[in-house]
Amino acid sequence: MELSDANLQTLTEYLKKTLDPDPAIRRPAEKFLESVEGSQNYPLLLLTLLEKSQENVIKVCASVTFKNYIKRNWRIVEDEPNKICESDRIAIKANIVPLMLSSPEQIQKQLSDAISIIGREDFPQKWPELLTEMVNRFQSGDFHVINGVLRTAHSLFKRYRHEFKSNELWTEIKLVLDAFALPLTNLFKATIELCSTHANDASALKVLFSSLILIAKLFYSLNFQDLPEFFEDNMETWMTNFHSLLTLDNKLLQTDDEEEAGLLELLKSQICDNAALYAQKYDEEFQPYLPRFVTAIWNLLVTTGQEVKYDLLVSNAIQFLASVCERPHYKHLFEDQNTLTSICEKVIVPNMEFRAADEEAFEDNSEEYIRRDLEGSDIDTRRRAACDLVRGLCKFFEGPVTGIFSGYVNSMLQEYAKNPSVNWKHKDAAIYLVTSLASKAQTQKHGITQANELVNLTEFFVNHIQPDLKSATVNEFPVLKADGIKYIMIFRNQVPKEQLLLSIPLLINHLQAESIVVHTYAAHALERLFTMRGTNNATLITAAEMAPFVEVLLTNLFKALTLPGSSENEYIMKAIMRSFSLLQESIIPYIPSVITQLTQKLLAVSKNPSKPHFNHYLFESICLSIRITCKANPEAVGSFEEALFLVFTEILQNDVQEFIPYVFQVMSLLLEMHKNEIPSSYMALFPHLLQPVLWERTGNIPPLVRLLQAYLERGASTIASAAADKIPGLLGVFQKLIASKANDHQGFYLLNSIIEHMPPESVDQYRKQIFILLFQRLQNSKTTKFIKSFLVFINLYCVRYGALALQEIFDSIQPKMFGMVLEKIIIPEIQKVSGQVEKKICAVGITKILTECPPMMDTEYTKLWIPLLQALIGLFELPEDDTIPDEEHFIDIEDTPGYQTAFSQLAFAGRKEHDPVGQMVNNPRIHLAQSLHKLSTACPGRVLSMLSTSLNAEALQYLQGYLQAASVSLL
Amino acid sequence: LRRHRVEVSVELRKAKKDEQILKRRNISIHLKEESPSLGQDRADEIIQLSLEEIVQAVNGDDTQLQLLATQATRRILSRHKDPPINQIIELGIIPRLVEFLGRADSAALQFEAAWALTNIASGTSEHTRAVVQGGAIPALISLLSSPHMHISEQAVWALGNIAGDCPLYRDALIAHDVIPPLLALVSPATPVGFLRNITWTLSNLCRNKNPCPPLDAVQKILPVLIFLLRHEDRDVISDSCWAVSYLTDGCNDRIQVVVETGILPRLVELMDSPDFIIVTPALRAIGNVVTGTDQQTQEAIDAGVLAVLPRLLRHSKPVIQKEAAWTLSNIAAGPYQQIQQIISCGLLPPLVELLDRGDFKAQKEAVWVVANFTTGGTVDQVLELVRSGVLKPLLNLLLVKDSKTILVILDTISNLFLAAEKLGQTEKLCLLVEELDGLDKIEDLQNHENDMVYKAALNIIEKYFSGEENTDLEPQTGQDGLYDFSVEKQDFNF
Repeated sequence: MELSDANLQTLTEYLKKTLDPDPAIRRPAEKFLESVEGSQNYPLLLLTLLEKSQENVIKVCASVTFKNYIKRNWRIVEDEPNKICESDRIAIKANIVPLMLSSPEQIQKQLSDAISIIGREDFPQKWPELLTEMVNRFQSGDFHVINGVLRTAHSLFKRYRHEFKSNELWTEIKLVLDAFALPLTNLFKATIELCSTHANDASALKVLFSSLILIAKLFYSLNFQDLPEFFEDNMETWMTNFHSLLTLDNKLLQTDDEEEAGLLELLKSQICDNAALYAQKYDEEFQPYLPRFVTAIWNLLVTTGQEVKYDLLVSNAIQFLASVCERPHYKHLFEDQNTLTSICEKVIVPNMEFRAADEEAFEDNSEEYIRRDLEGSDIDTRRRAACDLVRGLCKFFEGPVTGIFSGYVNSMLQEYAKNPSVNWKHKDAAIYLVTSLASKAQTQKHGITQANELVNLTEFFVNHIQPDLKSATVNEFPVLKADGIKYIMIFRNQVPKEQLLLSIPLLINHLQAESIVVHTYAAHALERLFTMRGTNNATLITAAEMAPFVEVLLTNLFKALTLPGSSENEYIMKAIMRSFSLLQESIIPYIPSVITQLTQKLLAVSKNPSKPHFNHYLFESICLSIRITCKANPEAVGSFEEALFLVFTEILQNDVQEFIPYVFQVMSLLLEMHKNEIPSSYMALFPHLLQPVLWERTGNIPPLVRLLQAYLERGASTIASAAADKIPGLLGVFQKLIASKANDHQGFYLLNSIIEHMPPESVDQYRKQIFILLFQRLQNSKTTKFIKSFLVFINLYCVRYGALALQEIFDSIQPKMFGMVLEKIIIPEIQKVSGQVEKKICAVGITKILTECPPMMDTEYTKLWIPLLQALIGLFELPEDDTIPDEEHFIDIEDTPGYQTAFSQLAFAGRKEHDPVGQMVNNPRIHLAQSLHKLSTACPGRVLSMLSTSLNAEALQYLQGYLQAASVSLL
Repeated sequence: LRRHRVEVSVELRKAKKDEQILKRRNISIHLKEESPSLGQDRADEIIQLSLEEIVQAVNGDDTQLQLLATQATRRILSRHKDPPINQIIELGIIPRLVEFLGRADSAALQFEAAWALTNIASGTSEHTRAVVQGGAIPALISLLSSPHMHISEQAVWALGNIAGDCPLYRDALIAHDVIPPLLALVSPATPVGFLRNITWTLSNLCRNKNPCPPLDAVQKILPVLIFLLRHEDRDVISDSCWAVSYLTDGCNDRIQVVVETGILPRLVELMDSPDFIIVTPALRAIGNVVTGTDQQTQEAIDAGVLAVLPRLLRHSKPVIQKEAAWTLSNIAAGPYQQIQQIISCGLLPPLVELLDRGDFKAQKEAVWVVANFTTGGTVDQVLELVRSGVLKPLLNLLLVKDSKTILVILDTISNLFLAAEKLGQTEKLCLLVEELDGLDKIEDLQNHENDMVYKAALNIIEKYFSGEENTDLEPQTGQDGLYDFSVEKQDFNF
C-alpha cells in the first residue's frame, strides 16, 4: 500500500463503515481491514489519518484501530513470520511519541497504550531513544505534554510492581533510573513550586495535581523492587514533600461530588501507599521519617469526612496505621494512654459508624449489603479497616484498648436508651465495636473461634441483644435486628447452649420480617445453629428440642420465600434443607404441602435459572423429602414420581442445561427406592439416556453414569431381554468415557456395573472387545488413575467369571498376555489401589488367581505365583503407595478450563457404598488362608514347598498369622 | 533448594555498608620520621609546589627536590576531600614514582613514592590500572622485604589496593610471587597496626570470584589465616574472617578446602562474638559453607552453628538477622535428619518470631527457611513446624510487596496441604488458614497481576476451598466421540 491520498480515502471509507450499526455493512469492512493489515504502510496510513483526518470520528476510529493492530501484531513470535515490516516499525517508533503528545486526550490515551505495548517488546534494547525523548519533554513546561509523558511512563514501568526479580528486569530498571530518576525528582520539585505559585488558579491546579498523582505512582513503581541508590540519597526531598502534600488542603481542589474521589484524595491515597511501601520494605532507612508520617496520617484521618469519596483514602490510611502499630519498635508511638484514647475516639469509632450510604445499601441493595457484611467481601471498606486497626492495636494493648472501648460502648448504649428511635445508630456502632473487639479469629463454618477474654459476650448478649429480638414488633429498627441476629450467628460457639435454645423461637419469628437483610440473617443464623456439633459429633441442637417449633419453622421458612425480594433467596433455601436434615421424620406430616411448594418453586425457577446456590439447595431439599419419607414408607416413592416427573419432563424437553444433572440425580435416588422390577416408565427413557448429545456435556457425565448404574442394578435382566439392541450403545458410552483421561474412572464405574449385573450371556460377544479397548488405553496413555481403576475392574471380573475365564480371555487376545499383565501391571502396581472396598475386591480376585487357576500351577506362569502372593500380602500389610509420577501431577488441573458449575453433586442424593464381594467374603485375609488350604489339599506338598523356597520371611510370617486366624494349616 | 549468595548481579541499592572495604586511602598522620616540629597541616602550607613544579622536580635529577615533589604529591593525594587523582595521573609521573620505589639510597623517597602510589591505587579501577601499568607490581613486591618496617608496611597497603581491584590484578600479584614475602612478615613480633594491614591485604588476595584465586595460593595462605583468626585484635580477626568468607563463597571444592582445615568450630565461636565487625564476616563464612554439600553442612552443624543461630536470628541488626536466616534456609534445604536437628536445637521459636516481626529482608529469608523445611521435611516435622505457630506470620506475609516471596509462600502452603492430606487433616488446615485470615488473602491474590502468583492462588482455592458441600471438580470430555463400540486390535507390550 502506498502512502497516497487515494489509499487514505479508501481507508477512511472503510473505517467509517466499521462504525455502522448494520452488521451487513460493518462486518465486510472489518474483514477488509484485516485482510490489508499485513501490507506495508498500513499502520502509517492509520497514523496519518488519526493526525490529519478532517473528521474527528475518523481520527478516533483510526487511533483505536491502530492500537488494536499493534496489540495483535507487534510481538514477534518465535517460528512465526514477522507481521510488521521493519521500516514500518522504525517509522512508528520515530513518530509515535510526538504524535501522542500533540493529540487531544481521547487519542492520546490510545497512543499511550500503543506505546506501552510496543515498549513491552522493544524497550529498552530496541528502543533506546524512548527514554531520552520522554525526559526531554519534561523541560517543555507544557503540562499537557508532561502528563502525556508521565502516563506513558507509568504504563511502561508499572510492571515493576509485580514481576519477579531477574537480571534482565533489574538491568532495565537501572537504565530507567539512570535516565529518569533525576529529571523526575526535578519535575516533582518544580511542580510543587508551581502549585504554590498557582495556588489560586483552579484549572492550573488540576493539571498540576494530575501530574503529582502520576509522579507519586511512578515513585511507587520505581521503588518497588528495591530501594534505589538515587532515591535513598534523595529521600529527604521526596519524603518531606510527600509529607507536606499529605497535610495540604486547598479549597479549589475540593469537589462537590460525594461519591467520586477527587485529585486531592487520589494523591493522598497514593502517598499513603508510598509510605506503606517504605515502612514495609525499607524500614531501616525510612525509620527517621516514619513518626512524622504516622502523625500526619492520623491527623488526616481525624479531619477527613464521612463521604464515600474519601473511602479509599481513609481505608488506605487506617491500614497504614494498622500495619505500623503491630511492629515492636514502633510500639512507643502508640502506647501513651492519650494517644490510644484519641485513636480509638477519633479514628476507630467514627469509621465504624453506620453511614447514610450503608443505610441505603441495607434497604435498597440488600444482596450487596449481605455479601459484604456476611461473607467478608469488605476488604476495602472503612469498617473493615477500622476492625483491622483494632486487632493490630490489641496485639500490644489489648487491655487498655478494651478498657477504652468499654467506656465508649457504655456511653453509646446510654445515648441509645435515651431515645432509641433517634439514636439507634449509636447502638449499632456499639454492637459493631464489641464484635470487632471480641473476635480474634473467625471462619464461615464455625463463626468466631477465638475471642477476647476481656469481653463478656454472654452478658452483652443477655442484656443488649436478646431484648431487641424479643420485642413484639419484628419490623422496628431493622438494622439493630440484623445486628442482633448476626451477633448470635458469629458468637454461636461462645454463647451457652441454653441461650441459643432461647433464641431459636426469636429467630424463627424474624423470618417474617419485611427487611430482606433481617429475614435473610434469621434464616442464615438458624442454618448455622443447626450445623453445630455437640458431643459425640451429634448435632448440638436435637430434633427433640426442636419438636415444639417444627410447624412454625417450616411455615415461616416457606412464607419467607414469598416476601418481596426473597423469592430465590439462597439463605432461606439452605435453611430449609438444613431444617429437613435436622428434623428428619418429624417433617413427614408436612411433606404433602412441602413437596407441592418445592415443585412449584422448581417449575418457576426452571423458566430462567439464575441463582445456582438457591437451585442447588432446592434440589437437595427435594432429595431429603424423598429420602426421609421413603425410609419410613417405601411405597411413597410413587407419589413423589407423580409430583415430580411432570416438571422433570419439562426440564428435559426444554433442555434446561443447569438442571439436567440434578434431575438425573433425583431420578437415580427415586429408582433406587424401588424394591421390585424396574417400572416401565423408566425403561421408556432408557434409550434416550444413551444419546451422544447428552454425553458431550461434561456436567452430565457423573450423574448420568450414576443413573445408568441404578438402571443396571434394578433392571439388568429387563435390559437384556427387552433392550438387548441397546447394549452396543451402552458399551459405546463406556468407550467414549474410557477414551478420556479425565472421565475414564466414570467409564469403569459403568463397566463394573455391567459386569456385575448383566446376565453373562448378554455381554458374551463383547467381552473380548472390552479388554482390547482397555489394553489399548493401557499401552498408549496410562495414568495412575487408569491403572487403579483397571486393577479393580479385572479383579471384579475375576470374582464374577472366575480366574480361569480371566486367564483364557487374556491369552485368547494375545499369547502369554495373562503373564505379561500379572508381571508388568498387577504385581508392581497393586499397592496403589486405594479405598477399602476396592482393596477387598482386588484381594479376593488375586486370591482366586492364586488358588483357582490351574495354569498358575503347571505352566510357565508358575514362576509368578510367589511374586503375586507377595504382592497380595503387601496389599494387606504395607501402607498404600500414593506416589504419582511427576508429569502426572497437574493433569486434572490443566485439563480443567475453570470452575465447572455444570455438575453439582447433591449430597443428599448420594449413592450408598456398594460392596460387590460383601456377601461372599467378610475377611479377605482369612479367605486367602482358606483358599490356600483348599489348594494345598488338592495338590499336597506343592504349596508348602513353593512357600518355603521363595517367599520372603516377613511375608511368610504374616501368612502364618492368617492361617492361624483361620485355624487351617497347609498340607 | 540451596541458594547461593549471588542471585542477581545487578544492584539497585547503594553499595552495601556491611561489606568489607575494598580499597583504602592512607590519609593518616602517623609519621614520626617527619620533622616532629612541624604538624602536617603547617607542612602543607610551607611546601606549596605547583603541579608544573612537581613534574619538573620529579623528572629532574636532584634527589632532594624529587623527595620534596613526591612528598607534595602524596600530600595532595592525602587531602581529606576529593583528592585530584586524575590530575596527578595526567602529569605522567607514575613511572618515575615507580622508579623511586627502587631507590634504596633514599628510604624517605621510597616511602613517599609508595604512599603516593597507594593513594592513587585507592581510587577507581581506572586509577589502579594506571599504577599497575606504570610497572609498580614487581617494585612494590620487592619493597616487602625492605629493612624499614614503615616502607614494607606501605608496600603491603599499596598491594592490597591493587589486589582488591579485580581478579586479574590479584592473580598478577600472585604470579609475581607476592605471597611468600607477605606471609614472612607475619610473626608474633609484628606490631598490631602492621598486622592489620597485612591481614587486610591477605583478605583482598582471597577476594573476588570469576575466577577465584588459584588453589595453591589459597593453600599457602590458609594456615596463616588460621593463625590470625586466633589473634586477639578485633580488626585482625574481622579481616581474617572476611578472607575465609571469600574463600568459601564458591563451588563446593573450595568450601571443602576450608572445611578440611578444621576451622569451622572457631568460626562458629566468632559468630557468637559480641562484636559486630566480627560477627558479620564469621556468619558470612559459615553461611557460605552451608551452601555446600550435605556433608559440608553437617560439619557446620557439628561445629555448633545451630546453637548460635537463635541469638543471631534475634540480633538487633537487620543484616545479621537476614544473613542468619539465609544460613538457616540452606540448612533447612538438607536431608530430614538435618531438619530434625533444626527442630531439636530450638530454632523454630526464633524463626517464627522473625517471620512475625523481623526486618523485611530477614522475613524474606525466613520464608525460604519455611519453604525448604516443608519441601524436605517429613510429615511429622512439618506438623511440628505448624504447631510452633508458623502459619499465622506466614499468612500475614502474603501482603508483602514482593511477588517472588508471595509465590514462595503459596508454594509452602501447598506443601503444608500435601502434608495435611497425608495425615487426613486437610479440613483442619483449611479451617486454620481461614481462621488466620489467610483465605481472604489467598482469594485476593487471585487478582494479582503476576501470572504465576495468580495461578498458584487459584490452584489452592480450587483444590482446597471451593464449594462448601461436596462439590466435585469434574473435568471436561476428552477426544471426539468413539460412540460405536469397536476397536482395532494391536500388539500389546507393557
